[in-house]
Amino acid sequence: MAKRTMTRAAAENVYLHKDFHGALSAAISYLHQRYGAEAAREYLRRFAAAYYAPLTEAINARGLPALRAHLERIYAIEGQEISMTGTDDELWLDVPRCPAVTHLRARGYPVAALFRETSRTVYQTICDGTPFTVEMLAYDPETGRARFHFARRPA
Amino acid sequence: MIPCTDFIPAYSELFKYLHARGGAAAVHAFWADLADRFLTNLRDLVAEHGLAGCWHYWSQTLNEEAADFTMTLDDEAGEFHIIMHHCPSKGRLLAEPHLEPYAEYCAHCDVLYRRVLEPLGYTFTLELSRVDEAACALTVRRR
Repeated sequence: MAKRTMTRAAAENVYLHKDFHGALSAAISYLHQRYGAEAAREYLRRFAAAYYAPLTEAINARGLPALRAHLERIYAIEGQEISMTGTDDELWLDVPRCPAVTHLRARGYPVAALFRETSRTVYQTICDGTPFTVEMLAYDPETGRARFHFARRPA
Repeated sequence: MIPCTDFIPAYSELFKYLHARGGAAAVHAFWADLADRFLTNLRDLVAEHGLAGCWHYWSQTLNEEAADFTMTLDDEAGEFHIIMHHCPSKGRLLAEPHLEPYAEYCAHCDVLYRRVLEPLGYTFTLELSRVDEAACALTVRRR
């Protein structure tokens, strides 16, 4: 077979490697099995507190519109339509299906038993230190369909 | 949800978390587990197609990750080579002003791919002297 060469510049492609969801699911499973459920949640809290710190600051500065913009952006990246309704004091987020879970199922990757924590714990951590709380009201582990309620903390 | 575009910071923070719990040994144990349980697609491709399996695997991943690279397969010479001009993963970490990458972040490629490829009859070399510029070079040779 002849020698083959491929050269690509970053700008020639869109950055969207959905198999990363499989690696994240494997990581959550590993932490769960090796160190326990609380370790998986603690890791996600540390990650979200570090990486999403600018978002938490933005929520403190601008309120729920900052969170809405983040949620719109991340689900749009994954090509998933979502529904958001609410006021300045609360936000209802309906996710018809989680694009991460959808990809895992489509590719036959194992879905971590605690995969929901990649939403629940991450959103809770983003809201920590802000005037808002979040509750996961529903979650379907088969599809990742979920409902969240973000609300201003009682005075 | 953590979008796949935020996975790399999550990966780096995972390594830091594991290191805090059990040192480098805990991080390496995770990498070994990931290679065994998750990199089955690379293992299967190379087992079936030989070095061309490397070409198939990295053709997909590097394009989906929007890497800046040159990849060469010379089947007659028994060599597959990637020059990573700019790694999207390390580059992403270096570009995040509020995150400190895991110090040995790039070592995960060495551990994962070596663990998959060497038992299949290949040598694996990763040149990491320019990782501070998000650049490296990977070579797989048929033994």
